[in-house]
Amino acid sequence: MTESLPHLSTEFFTWLWWASEQGGGRLTVDGEEIILWVDDRLAFRLPSEDASRAVLTGADTARAAEAKAALAAGKVIKEVRLRIQWDDREYGVTLKGARLDVGGLVLPALPEDGDEQDRLMIRMEAIEALWAVLGALYRRFAAVRVADDWHQEVVPGIERWLKGQA
Amino acid sequence: MGFLKGRLTFRRYRVIDPLPDDFRDRFEEALTDQAFRDPGSVSKGEETVGWVRTDNLLETDFSNRDKWLYTHYLMAGMRIDKKSLPTPLVRAMIEQRIEAWCEENGRARAPASVRSDIRVNIENDLLARTLPTVKMIPFCWNLPEGWLLFENTSDRINDRFRTLFRNSFGVTLEAFTPLDFLVETPELVDPLAAVGMTVMGGGAS
Repeated sequence: MTESLPHLSTEFFTWLWWASEQGGGRLTVDGEEIILWVDDRLAFRLPSEDASRAVLTGADTARAAEAKAALAAGKVIKEVRLRIQWDDREYGVTLKGARLDVGGLVLPALPEDGDEQDRLMIRMEAIEALWAVLGALYRRFAAVRVADDWHQEVVPGIERWLKGQA
Repeated sequence: MGFLKGRLTFRRYRVIDPLPDDFRDRFEEALTDQAFRDPGSVSKGEETVGWVRTDNLLETDFSNRDKWLYTHYLMAGMRIDKKSLPTPLVRAMIEQRIEAWCEENGRARAPASVRSDIRVNIENDLLARTLPTVKMIPFCWNLPEGWLLFENTSDRINDRFRTLFRNSFGVTLEAFTPLDFLVETPELVDPLAAVGMTVMGGGAS
């Protein structure tokens, strides 16, 4: 499993954005409900290039007309900043590129007591918990992406959503 | 101190090779052998790279394992020093020195060898008086599970890191890809790897 397959990451980002809005931000992964929304940054590129062609930032980025217009015009998502909540945890994270590089990760409030070793354990455990959720989301995306539903339901649904019809 | 506070930016890796039984001794030796060392003199643009402790980038003593081995995590930093010179200043100094040489020697133009010597002397003189730009980039390695986070996402810096890591620890790093999420659902890997790009808004492939 060494291929990066960059188009899959861009489609994963698009699917995340679309799926989160379909469910009012609520998604079920591995039987657990999480709340996920696109936060304050979206970067787009052309499918044939690596450089960003449009970067949208600020409040309500996901609702900005320019965001959906960029997708409708054939650009793909290069970076997306997400907020993810479950139980009493909230994370902020930017996912970037084909390898899902992580940027600006804000972990939930964690206990500050203990020594360096304790803090490292707690923070790495929090990172792994987020990684597990991202993995579950990706597996759900992968199952949809390889199924007939992708072309029959998901893509038409995303296209209607881009046109403001859903 | 890396990973212990603040926001995090990182690239994730899988460590391909198994952990040797005597990894504590081996890795202490590896960190020590490839620890950052001040090179004394460097040429323009040359980078100096090596391991440091994350508690202080001047610390290269790894004999106290409590400073880099936290139960099953190994945490250290890659330090990169690079000296660079202000090009307009260097160019102006070279021109000034060449003009002086021409005047002293009654020549209209300095030969290429003289120009080259002047440039090298000026650059070496300035480099000796210039502080490097210094970066310390932490990594945290989960030893038993074989994954690692490196606090940088630049391809160039990551290439330096992978090379130093392999040369130090004798193990190979592979950058994470989302397909690694499918270990629990291997039946999805081949079909997913085979799909083409979907063109949104204009039909699907």
